[in-house]
Amino acid sequence: MSYAVGDTLPPFTIESVSPEAMKQWAIFLADPNPIHLDVEVVKAKGLGDRVINQGPANVAYMMNMLMRAFPGGRIKAMDSRFLDNVYGGDRATVTGTVTAIDGQVISCAFALDIDGRGTVNSGTATIEI
Amino acid sequence: MSDLDTLPPAPNAAGTSLDGTAVFTINAEENAALCRSTGIEPASDGTAHPIYYYIATQVAMGKTVAGVCEACEFDVDDGPMMGSSGVQFDAPLMVGASYKVTGEILSLIRKRSRKLGVMDVLTYRLRLHLLDGTQVLETDNVWVLPRKEFAA
Repeated sequence: MSYAVGDTLPPFTIESVSPEAMKQWAIFLADPNPIHLDVEVVKAKGLGDRVINQGPANVAYMMNMLMRAFPGGRIKAMDSRFLDNVYGGDRATVTGTVTAIDGQVISCAFALDIDGRGTVNSGTATIEI
Repeated sequence: MSDLDTLPPAPNAAGTSLDGTAVFTINAEENAALCRSTGIEPASDGTAHPIYYYIATQVAMGKTVAGVCEACEFDVDDGPMMGSSGVQFDAPLMVGASYKVTGEILSLIRKRSRKLGVMDVLTYRLRLHLLDGTQVLETDNVWVLPRKEFAA
């Protein structure tokens, strides 16, 4: 498979971010922060009216886009910025583009967008293919 | 004179060790559940989902999330927020492999933002090692700690 600077990578979509998955991630992360588990806590803190996805889960979505775009490739480095929350029920789509190619190492920029709200995470990565 | 000059300085947390004593092993069943929770199937080549860079280092570092906040004189119930996370892998993470963590707080810097008011920006670095000491990754995480007690 060949790549060129400016190529658009196939998007990766989560049709509906799952509150049940947030309960799993609380265990994976050993972090029972109730803003991920209890909507009443989210409301009480004035953070919205739906449970908030764990930030590392959002990073995992972005990694999934990269892994699907470069089958057999390996993420060498990745930087992610957290701009806003992802909530239960959100439709989340990761998009990306190739920004540089150096031999077998491809640099990409990517973003995680929520329908109706825009970009909530963004970042860059290098992939060894 | 900056308006920050009228505030007390951020706690001196830089240098706080985050070396862990726990061993983190990537469990095959958990890796499969994690992959499926994010919309993909687990890899068939023995590699774990790379997001374990964050999970393994957080779970096996020498302080809990609340403990890191405490080192910054910040109550975890006040809501630390992730600002950014970066990672550099030296090797892929493998299902069934066991790892340990070293690390430290790099800086805690007091700032003022229009959106959040006074906040401390925490940067800490963690390294994941095989049990023989071989480093497999290094990650820098930045958290924003909103200092509500300094709200105007």
